[in-house]
Amino acid sequence: MNLRSIQRVVCLATLIVAVTDLPLFAKIPLHQQIDSLVGVGNEQFEKNASKPADDATFLRRVTLDLTGTIPSVDEVRAFLNDQSTDKRTQLVDRLLASPEHARRLQYFFDTMMMERRRDKYIPAAQWRNYLRTSFSENKPWDVLVHEILSADGTDEKTRPAAKFLLDRELKAEEVTRDLGRVFLGRDLQCAQCHDHPNVNDYLQRHYHGLNAFLNRSYLFKDPKTKKASIGEKAEGLVSFTSVFTKEEGKTAPRMLDLPEIADPPMPKDPYKVKPAKNVRSVPVYSRRLQLANAMTNPTNVAFQQNIVNRLWAMMMGRGLVEPLDMWHADNPPSNPKLLNLLTESLRKNKYNIRLMLREMALTKTYQRSSHVAKDAKIPEETSFSVALLKPLSPEQLAWSMMQATGLTEKTLHSLKAKQSKADAKKGQKKTEDPQWQEEALHDALSRNVTAFVTTFGIVGAQTSQFDASANQALFLRNGLLLQSWLVPSKNNLTARLKKLKTSDQIAEELYLSVFSRHPNKIEKAQVAAYLNETQAQSNQSLQQLVWAALASDEFRFNH
Amino acid sequence: MRRNQGCHQLDHQLARRQFLAGAASGAVGLGLLGSPANAEKIKGQHKRVLQLYLQGGVSQLESWDPKPGTEFGGPFRAIPTSVPGMHISELLPYTAQRMHLLSIVRSINLKTNDHGQGRLFMEKGRRAGEFPYVGSIASKYLAPANSELPGYIHISTRGLNDSTAAFLGAQHAQLKFEGVKPPKNLAIPKGLDQTTDARRVQLRQQFNKQFGRGRTKSMTESFDASFIQAAKLMGRKSFFEKPPAQKDLERYGTHDFGRNCLLARALLENDATCVKVTHHGYDSHAENFNFHLEQLGEFDKTFAMLLDDLHERGLLESTLVMVYSEFGRTPKINVRYGRDHWGTAWSIALGGCGIQPGAIIGKTNEKGTAVADREVDAGHLFHTYLQALGIDSTGDHEIAGRSIPIGDPTAQPIKELLA
Repeated sequence: MNLRSIQRVVCLATLIVAVTDLPLFAKIPLHQQIDSLVGVGNEQFEKNASKPADDATFLRRVTLDLTGTIPSVDEVRAFLNDQSTDKRTQLVDRLLASPEHARRLQYFFDTMMMERRRDKYIPAAQWRNYLRTSFSENKPWDVLVHEILSADGTDEKTRPAAKFLLDRELKAEEVTRDLGRVFLGRDLQCAQCHDHPNVNDYLQRHYHGLNAFLNRSYLFKDPKTKKASIGEKAEGLVSFTSVFTKEEGKTAPRMLDLPEIADPPMPKDPYKVKPAKNVRSVPVYSRRLQLANAMTNPTNVAFQQNIVNRLWAMMMGRGLVEPLDMWHADNPPSNPKLLNLLTESLRKNKYNIRLMLREMALTKTYQRSSHVAKDAKIPEETSFSVALLKPLSPEQLAWSMMQATGLTEKTLHSLKAKQSKADAKKGQKKTEDPQWQEEALHDALSRNVTAFVTTFGIVGAQTSQFDASANQALFLRNGLLLQSWLVPSKNNLTARLKKLKTSDQIAEELYLSVFSRHPNKIEKAQVAAYLNETQAQSNQSLQQLVWAALASDEFRFNH
Repeated sequence: MRRNQGCHQLDHQLARRQFLAGAASGAVGLGLLGSPANAEKIKGQHKRVLQLYLQGGVSQLESWDPKPGTEFGGPFRAIPTSVPGMHISELLPYTAQRMHLLSIVRSINLKTNDHGQGRLFMEKGRRAGEFPYVGSIASKYLAPANSELPGYIHISTRGLNDSTAAFLGAQHAQLKFEGVKPPKNLAIPKGLDQTTDARRVQLRQQFNKQFGRGRTKSMTESFDASFIQAAKLMGRKSFFEKPPAQKDLERYGTHDFGRNCLLARALLENDATCVKVTHHGYDSHAENFNFHLEQLGEFDKTFAMLLDDLHERGLLESTLVMVYSEFGRTPKINVRYGRDHWGTAWSIALGGCGIQPGAIIGKTNEKGTAVADREVDAGHLFHTYLQALGIDSTGDHEIAGRSIPIGDPTAQPIKELLA
């Protein structure tokens, strides 16, 4: 780094500190502040950074990230032809307001919080519906988590929110560990029996401090309704012994190193509902109800940092702390200033997830190409100077394949046709309602999504690492599901390709539909050569052309 | 401290083979690793695991720890084995003749009687948490880079779809075969011929080439590797379909377990790293004795034949053999002549790579109701398996910047069992 650029960085840094303190300058949009801290504008940084992504790449990327699928071929054409200068901002806002966005966040947060574990007490459909509704009304993150951690399953209205605790059966080793991982970014598992052997920051009292919120709670099964809910006793303390040192420790509920939350003096009658056989006991003072407050309390910075890091990872392909749940001194954030900026603005913006995603999507950092120029060195992933590849989630992969092959459009078309008769009778216009469309389509195609989740979904273990197995490749290569989408039918992709006359036209339609971009010359020539060689435009050769594109690296990743 | 737990015989064998090969070609004195022929042999001798999982919980009293003539001993006798002084149940006559290849651990206390918890503890060496199974660890650390088969194959006719790889990743998760049926989606889609199939795969690679330029490779390589692995499996389709030789079937038995074990043998011969065969149906809450007579009757001869074959083919010294369950069965016989779940005092058998043969570790009291000596749990066993395979179980998995102890740091291997 030369002297001049050091000076610039210092100036920028001072400027940022200043703006975050002074409301007068707060007008500088968050996305620009993010870029400054990443290094945008810094000569040295820009020298190695990749160029801005072109419109087509940006459209595909942001549509996948914000709505969970690739854009339709019509959307690609329209966006590429759009001449307005602020079309990227318009697009981001449009996507964020769509019903598909709430669905995408439903999938994302369901996977994050439930980690594809099997259903126990709360049906997944109810929980997912609860999540989706929450995201469509842009419920603040702290409010959402408060609901999830305070619901006890007895009130039908809030019952779905209790899935996080109920489906883990209030088991200490599951609930405590996952509270730490999912909401605080710290996997305290190894601190259950002793201070963590490798991570100095993870102490046994952290684990048991979290455990103490719940150690009086238990799973109550109503013998009449058979429904599970949470009962709680008025007594019970957490003490622990290190298996290494045999030292004994005690702790009241606490969030990591924040102060312990002491019990109030025990009243004469400590119960609202006394424990008895087949009775859900309710104490006057509930430790469990302290959990939601303590977790979402503004002083709990770990809670804020965790969500910011996870949203960053969702958009940028890697957390500022990675793995996402290994937050400790020896694994610090790659860009602490940036992390502080994001955390601060999360607080200021009242835990507004949609706004955070919007600002991230508008950064130059997010909008970079994933392609490194010919002679340039591939930079460190932690610098975010080149866009990282993000493997599509099972849901994204399913929806994108259905979109690319034309199944989505075909299905929506027939759903609308059916509904329009009912509409005519009742004098309504449901078919025009985007919400109705999204839900009808989702119901119609969700079984396909499940097939992908079964094959590509991995239980537990959250990290940006990517892995692929032989089973998955066999599913893509030979599975009946994908093959059935390739057979020409109505106006699906293969049928459309079949109607085209020249190989150039075929290449265009294929690339716009599958890769959401135009093909270049070499790619057109490749398609022409393939078609020449394989009895041009027979069903079989077109189907396999589409297959090869769908099974390619370019399709498998969000780039 | 890092112990060298290699299979020492391997060195001798390699040296001997090298000597013979060298003598024949007149090239004595060439570096061992320099010759491709030897590289081939080293590859042929990579360490591997054969797991025989007796699902439901085999009775220790009717297998490895008989107590004839005692209150809870049941009707069966104990018979002498090929190891002087070692007796096992008369339900295992073929196995008894081969006990000089195996050892027994008779003092396991899991402190759980739950199928799920017991199974996970035995596989992960931990009571709770997301940790990889032994098979996934073997796949991760032992499978050769150019392996022709997935690292962890589980042959089972039914049962649970566990998440076995945890943080080690999907490519190390068990690939499950339903008996001798080939994996799902192994056949080319209908209407596609070999040429078209080859062409579409080639086209896929063409697309990838364009995309790969100027991008980091790790993720795309992992994705492409899964296609290569899939292609290898497809290429071995006939291998799954080929009926076993009649004389093998006569030896192993024509039942599912016999066929599954023949497939396991073939897989191990073809350099699979971990093969697990589940023999179902040991949860004998009623009619325990009839059940074990039948079940172990099926198990005994098949297992003995498999052990012979591995031994004769020189595979046993590089293959850890585990015969295990999720727990044993209660000494107390219930009113339905059954035995219930019992993790408190039971046994498993181990042999092959890195295991001292002919040993008995620990013992239970006279009635078999409690461990009397050298109590161990699945945490200790876990360290033992891995160290027998030459994996430092006291080290860490280094995964994406995170260090996770491979074995439970509070447990140790059974050192006297390690060769």
